[in-house]
Amino acid sequence: MDNVIELVNVRRYYLVGDFCVKALDGVSVNIRRGSFTAIMGPSGSGKSTMMNLIGCLDTPTSGFIRIDGEYTNNLSEKELASLRNRKVGFVFQQFNLLGKQNALENVMTPLLYAGVKGHERRERAEALLERVGLKDRMKHLPSELSGGQKQRVAIARALVNNPSILLADEPTGALDSRTGEQIMELFQDLNDEGRTVVFVTHDRGLGMRCREQVYIHDGKIVEGYER
Amino acid sequence: MIWENIKIAITSMVHNKLRTLLSLLGIIIGVGSVVAILNLGQSVSESINESMQIGGIDMVNIFPTGSARELNVFDEQFGDTLMRNVEGIESVLPAASSSTRIRSGQEILSVTIGGVTSNFFDVNSAELLYGEYFSANDNINRRQVVVLGKDVADELFPVGNAVGSYVSIFRQSSRRYLVVGVLDEKDATLGTSFNNSVFIPLNTYDQRFRRVSTLSSYTCKVADGYNPTAVADEVEAYLNEIVGSDYFTVFSAASLVDMANQVTSTFSSFLAAIAAISLLVGGIGIMNIMLVSVAERTREIGIRKALGASPRVIMMQFLIEALTLTIIGGVIGILFGSLLSYAVVNVVGWQLYFSWSAIVISLGFSAFVGIFFGWYPAAKASKLDPIEALSYE
Repeated sequence: MDNVIELVNVRRYYLVGDFCVKALDGVSVNIRRGSFTAIMGPSGSGKSTMMNLIGCLDTPTSGFIRIDGEYTNNLSEKELASLRNRKVGFVFQQFNLLGKQNALENVMTPLLYAGVKGHERRERAEALLERVGLKDRMKHLPSELSGGQKQRVAIARALVNNPSILLADEPTGALDSRTGEQIMELFQDLNDEGRTVVFVTHDRGLGMRCREQVYIHDGKIVEGYER
Repeated sequence: MIWENIKIAITSMVHNKLRTLLSLLGIIIGVGSVVAILNLGQSVSESINESMQIGGIDMVNIFPTGSARELNVFDEQFGDTLMRNVEGIESVLPAASSSTRIRSGQEILSVTIGGVTSNFFDVNSAELLYGEYFSANDNINRRQVVVLGKDVADELFPVGNAVGSYVSIFRQSSRRYLVVGVLDEKDATLGTSFNNSVFIPLNTYDQRFRRVSTLSSYTCKVADGYNPTAVADEVEAYLNEIVGSDYFTVFSAASLVDMANQVTSTFSSFLAAIAAISLLVGGIGIMNIMLVSVAERTREIGIRKALGASPRVIMMQFLIEALTLTIIGGVIGILFGSLLSYAVVNVVGWQLYFSWSAIVISLGFSAFVGIFFGWYPAAKASKLDPIEALSYE
C-alpha cells in the first residue's frame, strides 16, 4: 500500500495559561496516494490542527508524521519550509493570494522559493493557469478577479511545484454555491488525473462527495470508512 | 531572487508614496548635508590651492632674522651654497629691502625698495605694464635704474607713461634713477608686495643705496617634480644645522596651503560627522517604517511561509527592502546635497569640486544604515509563526 500521508499516534497539545489543550490526542491515520479524502469535524474538533500538521506548518508534540516518505519530527524551520515547498500545495478558504502581485506572479512564487529559473517559472505557471481556465487573466491583480477566479489562481499556485498532496481548507467556504460547485468539480478532475487531494471541511454534504472520509471529534478519530 | 525582492520592495514603496517619502526624509537630509558639506570643503581647499598657484606655490622663502648679520652666512653667495646642499632648488633669488621715500616733481611717497637680480621678475611672474625689466648688465654695472610697482607709478605719474622719466630716491641724500619699467598689478605673494614697491638692481642697492652685509630674503624656486613643502623642510633642516633655528624663518606658500587644507578638511570632517548624526536618526525612521511594514504584512509573510519560504528567505526579503529604501534615499540625498553645494558655491563665487569620496562614503553609509536598522524588523518577520501569521487579520 502506498501511503502518501501517515500519522502514527499523533498528539498535539497546546499550553494555554495553566490549561493543556489536547487539540489532537492520539490520532493514527493513513491516506493513500491518489485518494480524495475529506477530513471532517465540527469547529474546535482538531481538524485545523491536523491540517497544519499534514501541511508541515507545525510538528506534533508526540507521535510520528510521514509525508511522502519524509518524517517531519525534529525538522528545523528551514527544512519544514522546504518540505512544504516540495510536498504540499495549500488552498485556503480566503484564497490567500499576494495582493500586490498579479495572477502569474502569484503562481510563480513557490517556484521562486524552489530555486527554479525565471523562464521555466513562467512557462510552468502559464501552463497551470491555462489548465485552470485563466489564460486571459494572467496579468490581473487578485483585486480584479472574482472569488472563483481567485480560487483557481490559488489552485494553480498549489499545483505549480508538483506537490504530493493538495491540501484544501474549506476551499468553497467563501464562494457562492454555483462557483463552489465548479471548484469542487475542478478538485474532482484533479483527483481523476491522479492527484492526492485532502479536503478539510465541516460541511457534511461536501465531505460526503469525497471518496474517503476521516471524522474527528475532540481530537480523536471517531470513525472512518470508505464508501 | 534578489531582483524579485527589489521589485516587491519598490512595489510596496509606490503603494505608500507619502509614507515612504516621510520615512526617507531623515536619510535624504542626512546624506544631503554630508555630501554638501564635503563638497563645499573640497571646493574651499581647491580655491585656496588655486589662489596660491598664482602666488608662487613653487617658492620657498628664507628670511634671515635676529642678529644674523654677525654670522656672515646670508651673503650673496649663500644662494649657491644652498643649491649645492639642498636638492630640488632651481634658482635662488637674493633680495635686500628696506623702506624709503621716492619723489617725482612735487609728489613724495613712502615705498618699499627692493634690491633684486634681473631674473627676479621672471621667477615671480611679475608682468610688465610698460617698458622693460632691468637687465643683468644693469645689475653688474650698478646702473641707477628702477622698476616701479603699479600703485607707485599711478601716484607719481597720474598722467602719461612713467618710463623714461627720472625719480629721486632718498637715502642720506637723494639720487636720480631712470624708470625703465612699470609692473602690472599683482597680488602680494609671501614676502613681497609688488604694487607698492620699487625695484632696483641688487648691486646698485648695495653700492649706491645701502651697504648690504646680510640680505633680507632669498626666494628659492623649486624645480619641477619636487614637492615644495618637502624642499622647504629640507631647507629648514639644512639651515638648522649650519646656523641654528634662531637666525632665520623659512616660509613656503605650499606649507601654508597644506596647513589651510588640513584645517579645512578637519573642519569639514567635523561638520560631516555632525551631519551623519541625522543619518542615524534617519536610520531609526527606517526601522520604524520597516516594523510597520512587517506588522502590516504579517499575513503575506504567513502565505509566503506556507508556500515554502524559509526564515532566511523572509529575512532577506525585508533586509533587501530596507536596503532598497535607504539606497534610494541615499541617491536622492546625494542629488539634493550636490544641488545645495552647487547653489552655495554659485552664491559665494568659488568653483564647485565634487568630492567623489563623499558620494561613495554616504552611499555606503546609507546601505549600512539600511542593514543595521533593517535587521531587527527583518529578523522579527522571519521568526513569525506561519500558522499565527496566516490567521492574522
